[in-house]
Order: sequence, then structure tokens, then C-alpha cells
Amino acid sequence: MMRFLAKRVMQGVVVLFVLETVTFFLVRVLPGNPFMGDRKLPDEVLAQLNSLYGLDASSFVQYARYWKAILVEGDFGPSLVREGVQVSEIIGSAFPVSLALGSVAMLLAVVLGIPAGMLAAHYRNRWPDALFMLLAVAGICIPSFVIAPVLGITLGAHVPGLSVAGWDNPLCIVLPALALGAVNAAYVARLTRGGMVETLSSDFIRTARAKGAGTGRILWLHALRSGLLPAVSYLGPAFAALITGSFVVETCFQVPGMGLHFVNATTDRDYFLIQGLVLCYGVLIVAANLIVDVVLAWMNPRLRA
Amino acid sequence: MTRVSVSLLLWCCVGGIFLLVGCGERGESSSSRAAREGVLLIGNNSEPQSLDPHKATAVADGKIISALLEGLVRPDGQDSSGVQPGAASSWEHNADATVWTFHLRGATWSDGEPVTSADFAYAYRRLLHPEFGGRYAEMLFPLKDAREYHDGKIDWERVRGVRTPDEYTLELQFETPMPGLLSRLLHFTWFPLPRHHVEANGGMLDRRSEWTRPGNWVGNGAYLLKERRINDYLSVVPNPLYWRAAEVRNRGIRFLPIVNGYTETRMYFGGKLHITNNVPPEMIDYARHRAPGEFCRDAYYCTIFYRLNTSRRPLGDARVRRALSLAVDRGALVQRVVRGAGREAYGFTPPTVDYPGIVDATVAAMTQEEREQMARELLRQAGFPGGRGFPPVQIMTTSRDVQRVMAESIQAMWKEVLGIQVEIRACEWTAYKASLQNGEYDISSCSWSGDYMDPSTFVELWRSGAGNNCTGWGNAECDAELDAAEKCADQSERLKHLATAEAIVLRESPIIPLYWSERTYLKSSRVNGWHPLLLDNHPLDAIELDEEGAKP
Repeated sequence: MMRFLAKRVMQGVVVLFVLETVTFFLVRVLPGNPFMGDRKLPDEVLAQLNSLYGLDASSFVQYARYWKAILVEGDFGPSLVREGVQVSEIIGSAFPVSLALGSVAMLLAVVLGIPAGMLAAHYRNRWPDALFMLLAVAGICIPSFVIAPVLGITLGAHVPGLSVAGWDNPLCIVLPALALGAVNAAYVARLTRGGMVETLSSDFIRTARAKGAGTGRILWLHALRSGLLPAVSYLGPAFAALITGSFVVETCFQVPGMGLHFVNATTDRDYFLIQGLVLCYGVLIVAANLIVDVVLAWMNPRLRA
Repeated sequence: MTRVSVSLLLWCCVGGIFLLVGCGERGESSSSRAAREGVLLIGNNSEPQSLDPHKATAVADGKIISALLEGLVRPDGQDSSGVQPGAASSWEHNADATVWTFHLRGATWSDGEPVTSADFAYAYRRLLHPEFGGRYAEMLFPLKDAREYHDGKIDWERVRGVRTPDEYTLELQFETPMPGLLSRLLHFTWFPLPRHHVEANGGMLDRRSEWTRPGNWVGNGAYLLKERRINDYLSVVPNPLYWRAAEVRNRGIRFLPIVNGYTETRMYFGGKLHITNNVPPEMIDYARHRAPGEFCRDAYYCTIFYRLNTSRRPLGDARVRRALSLAVDRGALVQRVVRGAGREAYGFTPPTVDYPGIVDATVAAMTQEEREQMARELLRQAGFPGGRGFPPVQIMTTSRDVQRVMAESIQAMWKEVLGIQVEIRACEWTAYKASLQNGEYDISSCSWSGDYMDPSTFVELWRSGAGNNCTGWGNAECDAELDAAEKCADQSERLKHLATAEAIVLRESPIIPLYWSERTYLKSSRVNGWHPLLLDNHPLDAIELDEEGAKP
């Protein structure tokens, strides 16, 4: 197990290095620069700003300096658009928001998706199956930029305590989490149903039935562990994506999370912020995949070899 | 699973929802609570880039900075072109308005230090410093020798534009007469800086300085910076040491950076805001219907227009440019694109009391059919009868909906009236700016808003080779008029020269003025002391909140 983990961690480090390198050079190929405002900047002022932030050096020198700053000083650099604010501060203030929102959304996805998938599998080809799968397909197909405002103007405007948008009381998390969770709940439901249907038709379940085990016992104790495998391998990366924020949901609900920064940093060419966010996202994805691998190995002994 | 456990699960879900709902306290919305506490909630478009007046350029930043710092004069809350005494209690100028002397009132910074003329001189030196990289440095270029200092040709000691005869006297000397100086001084680039505080926090040239952070802020404005949460809110509270502290009508402001107008409008109706920044065109009818007394439509010092790249064929031909301009039905455009929230523009500078606007009079008086007739004739003269042989041309827009809809409307008008085909290229914001500034476009969708109330902020754009011209167009006659305007000490004479220059621009049409935009926003009936202002530079300390008032 330790060798397996060490190997995966090493692979992760390589992936992060490649990811960050590609991002570094790609963002510098984009047209424009971080200092462009509505009005044209005089050339000499642009030159001053470039030299102040070290952007006048060649890309390779900048690249070397960038890694040195991160590895030696732990400094992710300044934001080039919001001058005077550090990248680490921006991520530090936005990540907890996205983490909270993503976690609640994930919880909703699991709590709604897994039972729905199990029930659908249990009642395969009967009305509960049709109903849940219809809802799941709807959840997958309806984009979040539709779900989010609709939730806002229906539940948000009429249910006391909930709010249309904003981030000024703890219950503000409910609707964005619902909007984010809905899509994932739908995927989880479909994957769970698929896994369960396959498991429920396997020999060991028939044996358990023959030995007189009850429906509940078969579903929860025998079938769930292997029936959940597809859903679990989906949940890892999905969780990483959820806690790094969603531009659409954050815009619709005015949530100060990571998703807004991701898109704005790119359109503003805020080089250091883009790199910081990509690194953060990369670390989370690698970590989530690692955890999924470990969990899958625990759930399915055949993978441990 | 048995039937019992299925229904149990369902009941749990229902119970959960009720529990969730029950948790929420009933009643008071954020805006009512804030009104009770005297705190104004205002939508401020985007997260500020910086609160340092020398690093900021965005309009959203300017609104916050104007609450935190005060210049020599402050805006008049009821008159767009008026000013009130600010850090200066009085001023005078010489006969040709090239030398202005300001007498400071002896106010204090929020840490108790006096606001002196040296703080102003320090601020101007910093913005102009050749190693600082001030993005808005050109605002101070009218000061004598400022440009030379900025270009590193002379030392600050030799700059004649800024002098401080004593602690409370500031003397500004200009290259050319500046009869309209006072309205320029409302812009944040003319504000003072707390010299002692900036020096204590890394010094003049430190771009990473932390002097503008909450808890470390020192200012001379009506408010103090209290809290800033990126992309969430920025809050300010009254400054007890402000010289007019007794006249500040509210107990704080919370600026919310809401970029998306749909979200903002929903939040307003959900009781989260007192004043919004923008109601998007698609929601104008809804907002007007739902809250007739709260929907506002104010004239704004801003022009929506198209730039034509005159260095590209066939746009180098003034007849073609004029034909394109005449073929646009402005009335239909204003209705279709912004639901009537704009005035058809046949001139560039938005009309004001002092400058009624140079409208291309013959064109404005024609009917749209006559204009279209004339457009077809001009295009024929240019060698493209009925649009035949017209080379492929592209309209470049940003990805904003309004611009896309506008481009599609104009595309259809040109096809119908002139028989020419144009393509639309929607670019992401920074790519758009890069293409525009490098002249890599045919026709581009643009807007321009004035920094201060003076037509020169519009007309000066079209000087040959000016940084923001970007059309490749230039005209010696127009430049001569602009030069003459600059040298004029008499304001009415000066405006005449500007008007002549603008008439030349309109005749030559390197641009197609489309409409003068109007701001559409929502304002709660609780808000008192807010009047329409062309520059949207409302003195927020004058706003009083009614606790009663209707929702929201």
C-alpha cells in the first residue's frame, strides 16, 4: 500500500509541474497584458509597470523566478490587476467560501443521489425508477444558469430565511449549494443505479436471497459496497471541481468564491493569479484522485494487487 | 426496501425542508435592517482594482475613493457642473486662468495630522514620477513642466506647475489657460495623499504598499475604510475627524461589487440593496412595471459609438464612412438595444447646458428615408453602387450582450439599406482592447465617458495620433482648432473652437455616433438626497435613509 501511495504522489507532482508550466507559457501567449484599462496606456507607463513586476525579462527568466519564489519563499506573487493584494490572500479569502459551498453541495449530491439511485435499481423498470431517472436526466440537462436564477426567484424570494442572492447570512449557502448539488446528484443517481443494477443481478446476491436475507439487508449490506464503485470514482474529481467554485452559480448568487476569480483572472490576464488558481485546482484534483484510489482499493480488494 | 422505509424516507425529506425553512428568521430584509442602522447598501459594479488613487482607473474605484478622500473641491450633489469647497476653503486665479491659488481650510487627516499643501504636492509628484508608472498620469499633464518631469527630463524641484508658498497655500500653474479647472479637480487623480502615512508604509514608489488596507487607512474624506472582502463587499464608516462630520447624513456605506445586472436586480427586489448600478436592457420593462417609483433613468456623460479604422480599405474613403453612418437608424437602435434608455446621437459630445452639443444639423433634421437615400448616393459615388464590390468588413465587439445585439441590428440595417455584408467578431475583453489599441480591426463597438464635465474630454480624443484615437484618422484643421481651444482663456471662445473641431470630426466621420447612453438603475424610496448627475459622482455623505419608506 505504501509503495502504491508513493508512486501515485510522485505521479501527481509530475502532473502539477507540467500543468503549471503549460499554463505559464500559454497565458503569456494570449493577446493583451494585465495592465490594459479602458484607455490606452502610454508606452512609457506600460514599460515602467512591466519592469516593476519583472515582466520585461524573457519568459524563461520569469519562469525560473516564478518557481524560485514559490519553492524558496513560498510566495505566489502579487495580483497584477488588484495591485497591492497578494495572490495568496485572494485564494485565502475565496477558498473557504468555495470549500463550504462545495461541501454542502457534495453532501446534497450524495444524500439525494445515492438513495435515489438505489431505489431506482431496486424498482428497476417500474415507476419509481422512471421517476428518479427522469429527474436525473433533467438535472443533467438543465444548465445551472437556468436552475440558479429560477431557484433564486422562486425559493429565494418566497421562502423566509433563504435569499435571492448575496452572502450576508449563513442560510445564503442553501440555494447555491442546491444549484450546484443538483447536477451532481443527478450523475450520482445514474451511476449508483447502474452499479446497483449490475450488482443486484450477480451470483452472491442471489445466494444471499436464497439464504433468506431481507431486502434492506441485501441493499445496504451486500450490494451497496460494490454497487457504489462507479459513483465513488466520479465523486473524487467532482468534489475537487465543486470546491474550486463555479463561475455561473457564483455570478447568479453573488458568492465571493473561487469560480469568479478563475474566469476574471483569465480575461484580465492576471498572470500570477491564474497560475496560483491553476496550481490550487491541480493540487485538489490530484489529491481527490489519490483519495478515490485509496477508497476504491479499500472497497474492492481486487484493485489492491 | 419495504414500503414503510420508502415513505419514511419521503417524510424525512419533507421534514428536512420544513426544518430548513423554520430555521430562517422571518421578516426583516437586509435593506430594512441596514436602513434602520443608517447604512446605505449600494451596487458598485465591480471589485475595485485599488483604493490608491494613483493605481486606480476604474469608475467603481473612483466612487469609493471619492468617499474616502477629498480633493480641493467636492461635487455639488444637485448640479452636474457645479462644485463646492472641499479641502480648499477658497481660491482665486489670474486673468488668463493659468495660475490658480488655493487656500486650504486646515482640515485634518483621520489620524489627526493636518492636511497641508505639501500633501497635494507629494501626491502630484508621485503620480507623475517617472519610475512610478501612474496609469492616469496624463490627467496632470496640463501642469507646467509636468510632462518633462514625467518623461524624466527634469527634476521635481524644477517643475513650476506645483508650488507651496506656505503650509496652507497651494499654487498651481498651467501651460495653457484652464478656465474649467474646478470640474477637473473632482477627479481622484487631483486628490491629496497622507504623505506621512505613505512614507511610513514603504514610501512613494512602493507599489506593494499596504497603506490602503482596512485598519491601516488614513484619509481626509467623509468616510473611513472599515472592511474589505474581495468580491463580497467593502464597507466604510463616517470619519469623525472630517471637517463636515456633523453634516454626514448616514452611518456608513456598504459597496457591493455586483457585475451581473440580472443578479443585482434580483437582489434589489429581494431586499439586499438600496441603490443598484445597472438594470440590463432586458429587465427594464420588468423593473419599470414592478417598481415604477423606484426605476430611474438618468442622462449620463457617455457616448456609444463605432470607431472606423480609416487606414483600411474601403474605410479610408470619407464618403463610405458617412454612408455607413447615415444608414444607421438610431431611433430603432435605441429602442431595440436599450429599450429606449438613450438619446439618438448625431454628434459626439453629449449635450450639456454649457455645450449644447454639435449636432450634424442637416442630418438631424432629415427623415430616416432621406438619410438612407443620401447614404446610397454616397456609396454609389465611392464606387460601390448598391453595395456591389464592397470588400468584406468586420464589426468587432466585446462579448457583452448589448454590444452583440447592437452589432446584429446594424449589420441588418447596412444590408437592407446599402446592400453590403459585414461580419461580426465578438472578442473577449482584453483581446478586444488589444486589437483596438493596435489598430487590428475594421469597425469597433465603443463607448466613451467623460472624466470631468468638459467637452474637451470627448473632442480631444480625435487629435491626430492621440493615444485613444485608434482610428488612424487625423486632420490638421481639427488639430489647429483644438490647439486654439487650449490657448483660450475665455470659456465661451474656447467652447466655440471645440465645437468647430467636433464639426470637422462629424463631417469626416472617422466614427459613427450612435446614442448618448442613459443610466438605468433602481433606487429605493427610502433614499433621500440623491439627484441625477451627469457624471454619476454622487456625494454619498448627503444621502439619508428613511427607516419607514416602502419596500425594499
